[in-house]
Amino acid sequence: MKKLIDLYHRLLTWMLVATVAILIIPVTLQIISRYTELIPSYIWTEELSRFLFIWMVMLGAMIGIRERTHFEVDVWPELKPRTNALLRIVSSLFVLVFALVFAWWGIRFVHFGWAQLSELAELPMPFMFIAWPLTGATWVLFLGESLVADFRVLLEAPAE
Amino acid sequence: MSSVALTPGGAALALFGALLVLLFVRVPVAFALGLACLPILLIEPRLSPMMLFNETFKAYNSFILLAVPFFLLTANLMNVGGITERLVRLSRAMVGNFPGALAQINVLLSVFFAGISGSSTADAASQSKIFIEAQVKEGYGLSFSIAITAVSAVLAVIIPPSILMIVWGGVISTSIGAMYLAGILPGLLVAAAQMVTVHVYAKIYNYPVYPRATLREFLYSAWISIPALFTPFIIVGGILLGWFTATESAAVAVIYAGLLSIFIYREMNLRQLYHAFAETGRLAAVALFCVGTASAFGWLLAYYQIPKALLENVTSWGLGITGVGFFIAFVFLVVGCFLDAIPAIIIVGTILQPLAQSVNMHPIHFAIIGIVSLAFGLVTPPYGLCLMISCAVARVPLKFALKDTMIMLVPMLLMLAAIIIWPEIPLILPRLIAPELLK
Repeated sequence: MKKLIDLYHRLLTWMLVATVAILIIPVTLQIISRYTELIPSYIWTEELSRFLFIWMVMLGAMIGIRERTHFEVDVWPELKPRTNALLRIVSSLFVLVFALVFAWWGIRFVHFGWAQLSELAELPMPFMFIAWPLTGATWVLFLGESLVADFRVLLEAPAE
Repeated sequence: MSSVALTPGGAALALFGALLVLLFVRVPVAFALGLACLPILLIEPRLSPMMLFNETFKAYNSFILLAVPFFLLTANLMNVGGITERLVRLSRAMVGNFPGALAQINVLLSVFFAGISGSSTADAASQSKIFIEAQVKEGYGLSFSIAITAVSAVLAVIIPPSILMIVWGGVISTSIGAMYLAGILPGLLVAAAQMVTVHVYAKIYNYPVYPRATLREFLYSAWISIPALFTPFIIVGGILLGWFTATESAAVAVIYAGLLSIFIYREMNLRQLYHAFAETGRLAAVALFCVGTASAFGWLLAYYQIPKALLENVTSWGLGITGVGFFIAFVFLVVGCFLDAIPAIIIVGTILQPLAQSVNMHPIHFAIIGIVSLAFGLVTPPYGLCLMISCAVARVPLKFALKDTMIMLVPMLLMLAAIIIWPEIPLILPRLIAPELLK
């Protein structure tokens, strides 16, 4: 199971890198087309960059949960491992609620915009909207994994 | 609106109460902001959780915020491509013979860095790796080294280009070109304050000095840095001349840094490039995801007209421009302790704008007060991103470097006070260079 999740994590990271790398292209085309005759001014450049941007944010937000890079405000003193695990469980459960909201209402969100096309390039909008429920589902997976780990720490016999 | 279930006071209590409880149990800020909206969305008959999706979608579907990953990428390319290294050499030739040499270099490099990248978090991340260990090795205190690296990183969003100014321009519709020009002098003043602080520290603790660089070394290091130092002129000039928009200028910075790394300095390999992309995506995404949920939170505040209720009292105090300036700085400094700067602009900037307007404060003056205060918020606990990053690199808890950070903030706050009292400090450069932007 852990290997599968690792693999999925790698895939997401790779996609994240791809979005960042490609992102620069449409914006560059936009500038070049304005000042030279080399290429026609494509109307879809801005839309494509926003499309990639949304995916970059959502992919990064997905792996941020597993890598624990979402920023927290920490007002606690240094905690013992078990207390720390308990606190992490509490906070993970809250995040899990949010993940479920994203997954559940996210599906309705996609449904809602099912037939919409983007204004300029006429890309089907669900290509963007689907990022939301997918993010929710991915969070549920990653949170499940970390919750199991934290419960193990919590239930372990104290070291003393 | 007669059909609202909650009064502004009740809604404010529910939103801020939930937010504080969630932050207290260490729910990540981005999630706490979204979750705090949830009960109200379920209670209020006219609203539904769908609003979370509409608001986050609207936030991410924005051309302006694209500047964030671009500036982070520029910074990451500078580091792997050898640009940073050359700027360190130039800084050393310039201030290496001052007491506390390495710390002075730290500050000066931040100034150069600020002129190329617009991201303080990127500055803190890269300079923590360069300086903290090196300074400790030369006998500087660890807490001092962390603190000076973190506080000098805030210059990146004050000196143009700046992510915060681009976001501010998008949210409060202020000229980005004018803000860029206005940020230069305040940024240099804050940097000067930091260099004086380093000097005092160096005298008290006897920090080491390097031999004075020869004129030859200075000229050579300046010569190899010229292509890199040219970046701010391309970016700021390009915007002022109307060649490209603010977001496009960030893309130009990426391309320029990439070209320098590949063709002029030739130090980058594919592996490093992949790494630069991955780091950029990670940091940009977690920062921006928070912008989405903050927008939803801010939207709810506006829905219940909470800002209006909060500000009703303040307008009756009869403050003048300076009084309002201090009030605005205070609010941003407090909010900056708990929120990242971009969400703070979205939620609080729009609330304060009518107040600034009511006393005829110049919009650019208002913007610079807000941005400098929020920049300081990047090193104030409990949520000071730059300080958190520097402490994380040094592997110590945030509390460790707190005292020195607070000491260093004092002269910086004096500079902020000067900016509030004398609007000419931010306004003089735009007035001289591009007066048409100030109207």
